[in-house]
Amino acid sequence: MIHAVLIFNTSGIPRLTKFYTPLHQSSQTLIQKIFSLISVRPVGLCNFLDAPELEAFLGPKDDLDERWRVVYRNYATLYFVFVVDGAESELGILDLIQVFVEALDRAFENVCELDLVFHFDEAHHILAEVIQGGLVLETNVDEISNSVQQAAKSRRESFASANPLSLGSGVGGPRGGSLQTPLGWLTDRLTGVGAR
Amino acid sequence: MAANMRGLTQFIADIRGARVRELEEKRINKEMANIRKKFKDGNLDGYQKKKYVAKIIFTYILGYKVDVGHMEAVNLISSSKYSEKQIGYLAVTLLMHENSDFLRLVVNSIRKDLDENNEINNCLALHAIANVGSSEMAEALAEDVHRLLISPTSMSFVKKKAALTLLRLYRKHPDVIPAAEWASRLVSIMDDPDLGVVICVTSLIMTLAQDHLDAYAVCYTKAADRLHRLVIDHEYAATYAYYKVPSPWLQVKLLRLLQYYPPSDDATIRSVLHEVLQTIMNNSAEPSRNVQHNNAQHAVLFEAISLAIHLDSNSPLVGTAAVLLARFISSKETNVRYLGLDTMAHLAARADSLDPLKKHQGTIILSLRDKDISVRRRALDLLYSMCDVDNSELIVGELLRYLKVADYALREEMVLKIAILTEKYASSYKWYVDMILQLISAAGDHVGDEVWYRVVQIITNTEDLQEYAAKVVFEHLKAPSTHESLVKVGGYVLGEYGHLIANEPGYSPVDQFQLLHSKSQFCVASTRSLLLSTYIKWVNVFPEIKLQLINIFERYRHVLDVELQQRACEFYALASRSDDDEMLQNVCEEMPPFPPRVSALLGRLDRKHGDTEDKRTWIHGGKELNLERQMTKRKPTLGTEPNGNGTAVGTSGTDAQSVMASLAGLVVSPTAGSAEAPSKDVDLAASSSSKLPRLTIGPSVDKWFNKLTYSTEGVLYEDVQIQIGIKSRYQGHLGQLAIYFGNKASAPLTSFTATIHAADSEALSVIFTKIPPSTIAPRTQSQQLLQVECKKVFTSFPVLTVSFLAGAHQSISIRLPIGVTKFFEQVKLGQADFFERWKLIGGAPREAQSVFPIALDSAAQLDLPRHRQVISGHRLEILEDVDPNPSNIVGAGVLHTSVDGKVGCLLRLEPNREAKLCRLTVRSTSEDVAAEVRKLVELVLKADSS
Repeated sequence: MIHAVLIFNTSGIPRLTKFYTPLHQSSQTLIQKIFSLISVRPVGLCNFLDAPELEAFLGPKDDLDERWRVVYRNYATLYFVFVVDGAESELGILDLIQVFVEALDRAFENVCELDLVFHFDEAHHILAEVIQGGLVLETNVDEISNSVQQAAKSRRESFASANPLSLGSGVGGPRGGSLQTPLGWLTDRLTGVGAR
Repeated sequence: MAANMRGLTQFIADIRGARVRELEEKRINKEMANIRKKFKDGNLDGYQKKKYVAKIIFTYILGYKVDVGHMEAVNLISSSKYSEKQIGYLAVTLLMHENSDFLRLVVNSIRKDLDENNEINNCLALHAIANVGSSEMAEALAEDVHRLLISPTSMSFVKKKAALTLLRLYRKHPDVIPAAEWASRLVSIMDDPDLGVVICVTSLIMTLAQDHLDAYAVCYTKAADRLHRLVIDHEYAATYAYYKVPSPWLQVKLLRLLQYYPPSDDATIRSVLHEVLQTIMNNSAEPSRNVQHNNAQHAVLFEAISLAIHLDSNSPLVGTAAVLLARFISSKETNVRYLGLDTMAHLAARADSLDPLKKHQGTIILSLRDKDISVRRRALDLLYSMCDVDNSELIVGELLRYLKVADYALREEMVLKIAILTEKYASSYKWYVDMILQLISAAGDHVGDEVWYRVVQIITNTEDLQEYAAKVVFEHLKAPSTHESLVKVGGYVLGEYGHLIANEPGYSPVDQFQLLHSKSQFCVASTRSLLLSTYIKWVNVFPEIKLQLINIFERYRHVLDVELQQRACEFYALASRSDDDEMLQNVCEEMPPFPPRVSALLGRLDRKHGDTEDKRTWIHGGKELNLERQMTKRKPTLGTEPNGNGTAVGTSGTDAQSVMASLAGLVVSPTAGSAEAPSKDVDLAASSSSKLPRLTIGPSVDKWFNKLTYSTEGVLYEDVQIQIGIKSRYQGHLGQLAIYFGNKASAPLTSFTATIHAADSEALSVIFTKIPPSTIAPRTQSQQLLQVECKKVFTSFPVLTVSFLAGAHQSISIRLPIGVTKFFEQVKLGQADFFERWKLIGGAPREAQSVFPIALDSAAQLDLPRHRQVISGHRLEILEDVDPNPSNIVGAGVLHTSVDGKVGCLLRLEPNREAKLCRLTVRSTSEDVAAEVRKLVELVLKADSS
């Protein structure tokens, strides 16, 4: 099973974190720990790392053979890191990282670190189409981007339906869209100003 | 959507703009305070809630702790707008964990979304359950999730999510999922045309099957078939090829699933798997330039090698694999070296002979010095697995040498492994003591207490070893800096056995005392108290240093540590008693041998797995260890009493022989392990065959069946959807059955599965020559061949189970009309010959006789042609002119079996018109055959009358 998916940049700042197992300690320290393990490994070493050090964060592994393994890949300024247990094939996970990156690339067109920052929710939705609850959900990039697009579409529609000034097809969308009164929409804009 | 909320974008930009961490924190605190205030004031609309929750999520992702927004997230979930709902679900899956109290509040909203007719909402709900599902959710929602998975109207993307969600719920709360009951329905989804669905369902089945091997047995065939279709037939949607490799993830999963089952007996499945594995290995012969392609191919290859090892570690396939592995471990690519060593360790853990691996011992030892710690770890594991009596000295020596330069992260594990190997494969006990003391002095900090306890235990239990051990410890203690563990061993051993060497030059009591005491000041209190005990023992045996020792006790009476103080006071009092007092002597009697017990070291290796986790299919260590592990794993499912292997370990004898035994006994005795394995397998076979499926009942099922017992072709089963027909041909002990599966409906039968359960495969083997196809097109027939071989006399009919999806999931189980008489050959005998044999065989028990009612024909006469048809249909020659009564029928035949040879059989049928009864007498040289033939013939004739 995949226990965590992490993306951080080469300075160790997390850009996406997703845990499929409850943590025993703060996620921040876990990320720092993994970053310190990985960042010292020069290029050319293998993409797998046994990490008994993680037991403090993710709980002990009962069996001596059963270890937390870190599978990671470096793309430009980003590290993609998956924490897995012995039931996963290492190379399979490595391939999965590639699939995830390809899926991100499709969604953002030449994905870069900034996309992950400003569209963190989108990145999570894409991840959700690849991995669910720690298990591989889909590996076909076409299939993944289809699902992502479909979700984006219904989101746009519902968003449009929330905006009475929009004349888009959103009104009467999939859920019949409960229209807000223009007044409600206006007050929303007004009160929102302070927060922005 | 983040882009659609300007406030959020601004917030993110601000944080990115913050030059130092303090400014970032300040900005976040300000935002959180604002959000808290807004939430407190209430009266927010959906958009605002969404916006604030999104900010909270972003803050959380940055690694800050957030404590607001949970309630708002819960509210957003029940929103009717997708964009709000989605953010709500995102917040729930990120901010909450399975034990969160807030989850109670969302169960109802989630159920509503599950039941809705909108797939996108179904998916959101499933995804949430799969991420945070608690046991509470499992109870409330498992049924709904299952329904979404099996419903024929569910879209593929819903099915995929439902399968993984169900898996999550099963892991959290296995009791709510009736896994065995759902088995055949779930396995049938493995035939789904959508590979994405297959991957997810296979994940689910992998976990369920581990706990319910028998119930999910059909998945073995399915997995083999699917692999064949992927690897050989290349039957998959082009989009599921990943860099030209057909869905490597699915292949890996299927190959892994097959390793959870013991190797199949079915020759057809075996050959299918063989072909698949062979192809996978051949494919890898051509390395490609593309990194991605190589990765995917190797992922499959390594799992395939593991399966090949699992199926038969002596097969030629594994030979090929060993050659490949040898190439891999000296590959330029680090990933490949890593996995090569890992897979080799699997081979070492299973193979009967380690020789092919020993050829590469040099390379493997070199890998201990690889530049990558991950590779070094694998090399260590491999050396541990491939160690045996022959190479133990070399490997342990090499490991000890490496230990001194090894990474700190590796040392503790190395020490444990070296200690175990030294103990397990000790060629002489001197070597054992040398090595273990070297180990302790080389890696003191990493030596757990259990290691030195064990050394002391073994030395105490081995008289011959004591003097030598005392000397060696003494020598090791001479080193300028010694580790505490060594001081402890030294204290104990010299205290007990120091007197054995005291007369030799350089080992005098004073020398011993001075050496040991010089270490005392660097030690912690617990070690010092152990040394005090040593001193009191010396008071007893070395009167010449008694004064110095008493002096020490005297001083220690005033230390602050309570334990030390108490010991010092007591020992002081004890030592100060008059010389003729026997108290001291009695107290300081030599230690008796320790009671035999399992080494604590192995205890550390033997820890249990969590229940619903995916289990490894093998562990590091030798073949025996793996056999042992498999047995303990199977035991609970078999429900047999665990045997007392653990307690029978080692003996406490004093002669060298039994010492070696106690050393070897540390690893649960190998002889007991291997001797028992076969009997276990028989148990397993028996228990799986005793669970025959329940037979399908229908008005004509028995009629069709009875007719086929004495004829070669006809209908075996028919209903509105399917027709099953049979044509058969028998020759000697072999037979061939063609089964026709006809789809009568106008829709295809999908996920078609046909399996045979033979009660006793040792006596009768019935196998499909091919794995039946998984789909039968509408209004067509599919013909499958069955290979039948009679090895011994058998008494029950094999059962054919057919299951398929036609709207709902259906399953039919019927007996196959294969009785012993099918393997008869007709024999012509004259009257004299017949009676001579008839008499020779004699009466019971080699005679079987019964009287039963028969039917008369329409003219109320005996239906003689019918009787003759039945008898000759059972392949007995009807002998004319033997019996004077023309109504009686006399027959003879010979049964052919491949193992037990031929068995003759004679029969006499005496019908009586008046009584409407009939007497049947069968005599055979085998009582089983007589009884069986009588049963078969009676079955048909008696049924006519009812």
